[in-house]
Amino acid sequence: MILALESVSKAFAGLQALAEVSFAVAPGAITAVIGPNGAGKTTLFNVVTGVFPPTRGSIRFLGRDIAGLPPERIVGLGIARTFQHVHLFRTLTVLENVMLARHGHSRAEALACGLGLPWARREEAAVRAQALEYLDLLGLAGERDRIAPELPLGRQRYVELARALATEPRLILLDEPTAGLNEREAHEFGEALFRVRQRGIAILLIEHHMGFVMTVSDRIVVLNFGRKIAEGGPPEIQKSPAVIEAYLGSDDGRD
Amino acid sequence: MSRVSRVAWVAVTLGGLVLPLLLGPGFYLNVLNFIALYAMVAVGLSLLVGYCGQLSISHAAFFAIGAYASAILSTRAGLPAALAVVVSQGITPLIAWGIGMVVLRLGGHYLAIATLSFSIIVEILIKEARPLTGGLQGLSGIPPISLGGLVLDSDWRFHYLAWPVTMLLFLFALNLVHSRLGRALRAIREGETVARLFGVDARRYKVKVFVLSSMFASIAGSLYAHFVSFISPAAASLMFAIDIIMVLALGGFTLLWGALIGVAALTVLNEYLTPFADYKRAIYGLVLIVTMLFFPSGLLPGLQGAWGAVRRAVAGGAR
Repeated sequence: MILALESVSKAFAGLQALAEVSFAVAPGAITAVIGPNGAGKTTLFNVVTGVFPPTRGSIRFLGRDIAGLPPERIVGLGIARTFQHVHLFRTLTVLENVMLARHGHSRAEALACGLGLPWARREEAAVRAQALEYLDLLGLAGERDRIAPELPLGRQRYVELARALATEPRLILLDEPTAGLNEREAHEFGEALFRVRQRGIAILLIEHHMGFVMTVSDRIVVLNFGRKIAEGGPPEIQKSPAVIEAYLGSDDGRD
Repeated sequence: MSRVSRVAWVAVTLGGLVLPLLLGPGFYLNVLNFIALYAMVAVGLSLLVGYCGQLSISHAAFFAIGAYASAILSTRAGLPAALAVVVSQGITPLIAWGIGMVVLRLGGHYLAIATLSFSIIVEILIKEARPLTGGLQGLSGIPPISLGGLVLDSDWRFHYLAWPVTMLLFLFALNLVHSRLGRALRAIREGETVARLFGVDARRYKVKVFVLSSMFASIAGSLYAHFVSFISPAAASLMFAIDIIMVLALGGFTLLWGALIGVAALTVLNEYLTPFADYKRAIYGLVLIVTMLFFPSGLLPGLQGAWGAVRRAVAGGAR
């Protein structure tokens, strides 16, 4: 298992966003986290990537406990992510966004950069070339010099994926990658995810689009009110009474 | 760095060096020296405020720290002026690092208030530590810098130190913003958490650029002390800090060249508005308001945008 969560809880001022969540992500697999709005899915991503520490529990990534490490360390260990609402840097070009993600793979600091030392310039040229490769991989080379807000949402999602890949992750977390995409675009994005998986990168994704989830996922984890209520392959999840109840509501009318 | 930027840097550097040879000595040289000194402060501040997005009001304090350190070392400890300038630059980063570690945990308005408080504390300390700083009377008789037997005691001679130093610091800043580090700073300005999620240690970089920015101000302060030969607590005053922020607002926060243009514009205004005495500040304010009305992002970005619009219009008309 590449990522293993053990009894992870997160509370915000009395609100229990995650309660005793345990599950694992297999290497080279696509795992989906689903659940109604407010189930704690994005909180889960934030806890795994270090945006905030879990209140309790352990998160093991490649065998080491990463719970509570700062985000810049966690990405360095090999977890990258995208966002539900695209968070590309608006004042950076598409190319620069991807170059930024190579930050942890380059070393020149203020003095070397300011003095324009030859090795720092060579490193910067290498970063540019590497970033271009990632843009090429996702068919974005033609948009390299544009700024993110100028691109259609579908293209922005690819830029976020390219940026995540550029960190050389072992695991990518995708937060609702098909939100705002039409069926064709969602299908194409799914194809791109298979290419990512082929590179040996595990994927953990949050998704509301059930058709998409059932097609791409190897395994599905279902959260509701911060608790895991089911876990299994797509056919099991589709038949699970607990999942159906969570989505459709039971007769005692929780809504 | 872009080709335009590189060519402009060479042109401005050479221009500044050749100008006195063509025009001979004169009052303008004095103005040019102040432009060079204030440009160092403004460029340093542009890195911190414009690029990294950390609104700090402590640069007048660091200007004063550089000035007083150099003045005290040369008048009281008897260090040669040039050596005093160098040693002072060892003191500033220590103070800046200590302050930066604390205040940069804050963001936005809180950071502005914290750095403002620091400025006020420095000003008060300077006024009160009379045995060291001369209190309200300030320190006078600060010796000029001498390099290899050449005493830089005139506008003319000082210019040939200040101008190259300013332009080299400016080049350092230009290189910096067009590097991996500049990219990281811009990312921090836009969103610290997202920047961190992509490997940028935002907390460390903010302190780093704060120290760097303070050093720009401190170098300017040290050179100022030996150029003017007298310093007073006014060097640490809030008004000076605000003037430099005005410079950036005028020239454009997000472009280093804007800082240079803003400094030149305000320094020239300042010198040639002297007959208006107390109304000077009112005129500054008016200039700033008018600029902000027409070019909200500052003169340089504004003019760039206007030029782009003109070019598009011309191209459109030709079609």
